[in-house]
Amino acid sequence: MAIVIYITLQLVVMILLAPLVNGIIKKVKALTQKREGAPVLQMYFDLYKLLKKSSVVSNVTSWIFAATPYIVVSSALTAALLVPVTTFASPIAFPFDIIMMVYILALGRFFMCLSALDAGSTFGGMGASREAMISSLIEPSLLISIFTIGLASQSTSINDIMLAMQSVSLPLLRPAFTLTFIALFIILIAETSRIPVDDPSTHLELTMVHEAMVLEYSGRQLALIELGAAIKQLVLITLIVNVFLPHDQFIAYAGISGVMLSLLVYLIKVIGFAVLIAAFEAGTVKFRFFSIPNLAALSFILAFLGFLQYFVLGR
Amino acid sequence: MENYLDVLSALILFSSFALVANKRIISYIRTFQLQACLIALTAGIMGVNSFLKEGKIDILVVCAIILILKVYYIPRLLHKTYAGVEYKVEKDFFLNIPILIFICCFLVLFAYFSIPTIGGSMAGNVNIQVVNSFSLVLIGFFFMISRKKAIGQIVGFLVIENGIFITAMFSTHGMPFIVDVGVFIDLITAVLIMGIMVTRISDQFETIDINQLKNLRG
Repeated sequence: MAIVIYITLQLVVMILLAPLVNGIIKKVKALTQKREGAPVLQMYFDLYKLLKKSSVVSNVTSWIFAATPYIVVSSALTAALLVPVTTFASPIAFPFDIIMMVYILALGRFFMCLSALDAGSTFGGMGASREAMISSLIEPSLLISIFTIGLASQSTSINDIMLAMQSVSLPLLRPAFTLTFIALFIILIAETSRIPVDDPSTHLELTMVHEAMVLEYSGRQLALIELGAAIKQLVLITLIVNVFLPHDQFIAYAGISGVMLSLLVYLIKVIGFAVLIAAFEAGTVKFRFFSIPNLAALSFILAFLGFLQYFVLGR
Repeated sequence: MENYLDVLSALILFSSFALVANKRIISYIRTFQLQACLIALTAGIMGVNSFLKEGKIDILVVCAIILILKVYYIPRLLHKTYAGVEYKVEKDFFLNIPILIFICCFLVLFAYFSIPTIGGSMAGNVNIQVVNSFSLVLIGFFFMISRKKAIGQIVGFLVIENGIFITAMFSTHGMPFIVDVGVFIDLITAVLIMGIMVTRISDQFETIDINQLKNLRG
């Protein structure tokens, strides 16, 4: 019975919080440019409006085009189930689920690329090829970062890793974890199509990656894809904040009040991290597409050095 | 305190990788400034520690000298030199950046395997801070030979100097004050001479370029 409650809690928190993170990032970016910007809750209004509309589908598309929005949102939600927002109420945990999370997210991305090719427009093909290149460049460093934190906490289950990190005092003051944190931050930026890699706020045909792939979608299907992307971003943020800045060991209460307090601290951490992402995005410019391998190489080497530092120090 | 120093040594290593990954001369100078800030922070932590334990202030003085010299004065000098020569072509490395980064990674591995073979009282011991700072020296050398333009090579030289300084700091926790000051005076002389030389070299090249343009026109 408890597991049903935990799963419901996890899904509700993830779905409700995901658009807010986007809203905060957009708001902070607008404030740094001395604009007032859209309200923080704008993405909820957008999703609500899109969900009411019917979608226009090209008559040359196949079933892949119709199925992709559901696959994207369900793969993001499945990955969300594997990354507990609070370790007091972790819904699903089994060995090797951190690797499964990576590849469930890759499944959603695979279908996104297929559906972008499906409609046969030139933008879709371009976006799909760029997305495939970025994801194949980023994947090695993501896996090495994951292996480093998995090795340090002697586990491959996300919940166990979070529990093990709670017993480490100040994880960000260990060289291995500091370097892995920076590597994961670069990965997060690349995976969620943020500024040095892709610009989420424009539809400029020369640079767009994610926007080019979803160009053919409209109405309800677009809402599902946008929600899926937002949830995927929140999953990665949750992984980073709960592994590197664990908070559950400080909460003395048990039961419902403990879970509530833990969720509150989690919310503060996510908002802080969103502000950090927005500040990073405001301070950098978009790279040329062929400079992205440099960024990927940097994040790979950071992950590898973190791994090395863990071996040298043995802790 | 050891925790902070471990993390700072890792971050200094990261800043040298960021330097290798940079493409533009302005961003070399900015990353060098960041690295100097981190080194000043390291010296500051060690200085406060030695002040509280032994009542000595010389490492704090060294920290202040680093802040003035490396964080403020040398980057300003480099910016000035850069504004004077104004290279329009920014691509000045021989190999592409991912390969440069991978070679630097092998240099770190080399440092990791070679440090324990050094004899003396530390023999057989792997000290993470010394490994990180010694790899900084190697990366500085590599940075110097991988760049074509003279400003990149000056920055490489400064990274080598940073590496030597920080290796000494990490392995001895504070050298005699006179040694540090002597190193800084050497450094500032070297940077001044190199700045003048860059201007001279660029003068030479510009005359060559202008001649070629005249030949094409004529």
